[in-house]
Amino acid sequence: MADLSIELAGLRLANPLLSASGTFGHGVEMTPLVSFESLGGWVSKTVTAQPRAGNAMPRIHETAAGFLNSIGLENKGIDHYQEATLPSVLAERARHPHTIVVTNLGGHTAEEFAQLAQRLDEVEGIDAFEINLSCPNVDGGKLPYSTDPARAEEVMAGVRRVTQKPLFAKVSPNVTRVDEIAKGCEAGGADAITACNTLLGMAVDWRRGRPRLATGAGGYSGAGVMPVALRCAWQCAQAVAIPIIGCGGIRSAEDVMEFVAVGCAAVQVGTASFSDPSCLARMGQELSDLLDREGGRPLSEWVGTLEVPPQTPWRQTQERQTPGC
Amino acid sequence: MPAVAPDVRVHEARVHLNRPCGDDAFVLGVTLPEEMAPLRAGRFFMLRRKDELSPEIPRPFSVYRQTGPRELEFLVKIHGRGTRALHQSRAGDVLVTIGPLGLGWPDWQANAGPKWFVAGGIGSAPFMMGIEQAIAAGVPADQITYVYGGRTKGFLYDLDLFTDLGVRVIAATDDGSAGFHGNVVQACEHLIESEGKPERVQVFTCGPDPMMKAVVAFADRQGFESWVSLETYMGCGVGICNGCAVGTTPEGQLADWPVAKCCTDGPVFRASDIRF
Ligand SMILES: Cc1cc2nc3c(=O)[nH]c(=O)nc-3n(C[C@H](O)[C@H](O)[C@H](O)COP(=O)(O)OP(=O)(O)OC[C@H]3O[C@@H](n4cnc5c(N)ncnc54)[C@H](O)[C@@H]3O)c2cc1C
Ligand SMILES: Cc1cc2nc3c(=O)[nH]c(=O)nc-3n(C[C@H](O)[C@H](O)[C@H](O)COP(=O)(O)O)c2cc1C
Ligand code: FES
Repeated sequence: MADLSIELAGLRLANPLLSASGTFGHGVEMTPLVSFESLGGWVSKTVTAQPRAGNAMPRIHETAAGFLNSIGLENKGIDHYQEATLPSVLAERARHPHTIVVTNLGGHTAEEFAQLAQRLDEVEGIDAFEINLSCPNVDGGKLPYSTDPARAEEVMAGVRRVTQKPLFAKVSPNVTRVDEIAKGCEAGGADAITACNTLLGMAVDWRRGRPRLATGAGGYSGAGVMPVALRCAWQCAQAVAIPIIGCGGIRSAEDVMEFVAVGCAAVQVGTASFSDPSCLARMGQELSDLLDREGGRPLSEWVGTLEVPPQTPWRQTQERQTPGC
Repeated sequence: MPAVAPDVRVHEARVHLNRPCGDDAFVLGVTLPEEMAPLRAGRFFMLRRKDELSPEIPRPFSVYRQTGPRELEFLVKIHGRGTRALHQSRAGDVLVTIGPLGLGWPDWQANAGPKWFVAGGIGSAPFMMGIEQAIAAGVPADQITYVYGGRTKGFLYDLDLFTDLGVRVIAATDDGSAGFHGNVVQACEHLIESEGKPERVQVFTCGPDPMMKAVVAFADRQGFESWVSLETYMGCGVGICNGCAVGTTPEGQLADWPVAKCCTDGPVFRASDIRF
């Protein structure tokens, strides 16, 4: 059986499959369907300093090839996370040491991100923080920390100062130069880049003159975003030395391997869990079967195997002599 | 946040029945690969076809009937992409089923007075088994009234099967094509006018939101307790997406958080617990 284990920011994971934040519940809700140990890593829903009730309904809408959401980071805040949610997650983690626990943090200011990380820094069993620089459903979709490399760096540096834990910076695809953002994150002290969060999107019910999401626009995920997410992951992988965690539209082991080929050490799966909440449990097996069929090389050897061949230019066209000149 | 009901399973189930029903619905019979314990009425499944005909995100449907240890029926109204795809299903086709989900109707109390089940159109789906189970729990059939409303006769799906349950059935149509000429609330008010107001009634309702609101307002006016089964948009059905929010009331049992999840805290709610 092909070895799926990977190393990510100094952590050992049983496999490269992580749940994507906000698509796998707040705590261990999913363990009846996806055993903790079948995951390489569990990622929390974004935790914020204050409780957030989230946006108005409707918050979700399926489109022709993907999924729109405007949940608005509904969560009960860090106190509740620490007291009520974490203990059962950490109990699972203690039983399954090769599944890492990642707490995804969301803040409005660089200080707030740092305060959240500081609060949880001493919690043994949280293996890493994922810094959500890129939620499109707050701050009016302005994405202040994932559209400017300097501000991304500032947030990451602020968090870096208060914790030794590995930091994943979750970036947005809603930029022209995601590689520049990734560099900012790396300079600020990120240990990995999660590429990426949702695209901004919308759908309308034109007959009623109403948006399909109460907020108008929201985050676009699922199958349709994979080419965009893959391109982002690839550009990040070329720009930084730290590992990339690919995320966006992954539905199968084949999809996972595309992200691995462009340079991702690990991946996160989100919307696919809505089509089949047990998919993450299945995907590990599918991945191992797939690699066996390809000769059984360990997964780690496939990372970054993409080569874009140099282009051979077409023959130059002859400049046409304009008669008479 | 409450955990997923521990008996939720993801299955590939085979279609064994696709029976047309009323003007725009059908009954889909599916056979699961393994036996399931008897289901509480009001619980639901997420369904989609395994092939590409269905959209990626499954759609929620109440269990209409459990006809065997592996056999379930769903009453489905043709609405958009997802239900049209399900409508294409023929015997032998494979569906992906996620369930059973949600909490279903509360325990039936035999001595809590008459029970009025008030359905609108496709909102009848969770009542077939609900009425069967209420009777099985010892609620006398003559204490149960099923008020079933629709715009017109063709939207009163399987009316005869409800009549066969042996409870009082009051049909109501907006156009008067069957039963009482008027809506379900008018039918309920008419009952009280003609028979006098019972001291205590438990009201259970499912249907379009405006109808349920009117039914709850009616129950409140009469001082009757009421429960609603909501149809919110759902992304996952299992409590992981936060897409199915329902506002809660500050005085209700769900008061500890401004929103409940329809899929795991419901879809059946005590009306006084929520704002919808
Ligand atoms: C708990 C629960 C039980 C239900 N039981 C039944 C049942 O027994 N029989 C039945 O016919 N219908 C039932 N519904 C409604 C059914 O889920 C929708 O009619 C169906 O999702 C429409 O999908 P579509 O793709 O055909 O429509 P589209 O309009 O193409 O769907 C687009 C989106 O809107 C959502 N949507 C549209 N209408 C509704 C609605 N009324 N309720 C919830 N989501 C909606 C869909 O899920 C999808 O996300 C139930 C809904 C819930 C929440
Ligand atoms: C319903 C929903 C809620 C989400 N909530 C969060 C969140 O709280 N924090 C976050 O960092 N990303 C959130 N995301 C983004 C996902 O983690 C992921 O980056 C994105 O959906 C792309 O992956 P996918 O196509 O596999 O879903 C959410 C996505 C969805 C669909
Ligand atoms: S439908 Fe996803 S949480 Fe309820």
